[in-house]
Amino acid sequence: MLLAYRLALASPWIRASAIEATEFPALADSLDVQAVPRIVVNGVPQWDGAVPESVFVDRILAPAFE
Amino acid sequence: MPLFKADDEVRVREALGGLDRPVELLVAHGPEETPLPGAGDIDFGAETERVANGLAELSPLVSVRVEEQPDGFARYPAVAVLPEGRDVGLRYYGLPWGYELGSLIGAVLEAGRAESSLKPASLERLASVEQELAIDVFVTPT
Repeated sequence: MLLAYRLALASPWIRASAIEATEFPALADSLDVQAVPRIVVNGVPQWDGAVPESVFVDRILAPAFE
Repeated sequence: MPLFKADDEVRVREALGGLDRPVELLVAHGPEETPLPGAGDIDFGAETERVANGLAELSPLVSVRVEEQPDGFARYPAVAVLPEGRDVGLRYYGLPWGYELGSLIGAVLEAGRAESSLKPASLERLASVEQELAIDVFVTPT
């Protein structure tokens, strides 16, 4: 979660939200959250689990350069 | 019930002592979704406010504001972490408790830094972004 917050602090184009899955089950179900952390970018599920900073940045920025 | 065990409180107070700038926690209340069974009789909104106030008690640079359905929130309860009172898009949706209390504390520590803690290579890549990206990270408290 902290990496997402760091990215949001470093770029005016990026926002980062932690969402507690058990408190928002309808939203979690709609995004098929089975494991945490599940990372979703612009409403599209991307991957589950923690990754190193360089991988996180690569994966997060991929949609911006498609 | 206190927010932290005594030794944890000392550690969090020390960490918050390193803030370079003020951080405001905006607690947003509003209609709450029905959580999964097992949540018991927890008042998530009230507990979220208690957590924010508990952090603010540990540092003169951390403050709390509470609002009812402010603009810019998708669901409730929520906490926005505002470096120097500015909304830069940091949110925690739900009650930050258990393991996830650490995420909120981490957000405060990051927001309180004058300089990013990202690696230079990451900052270089971020500088080329010119498209809105909303990162949602689904978490659980355990």
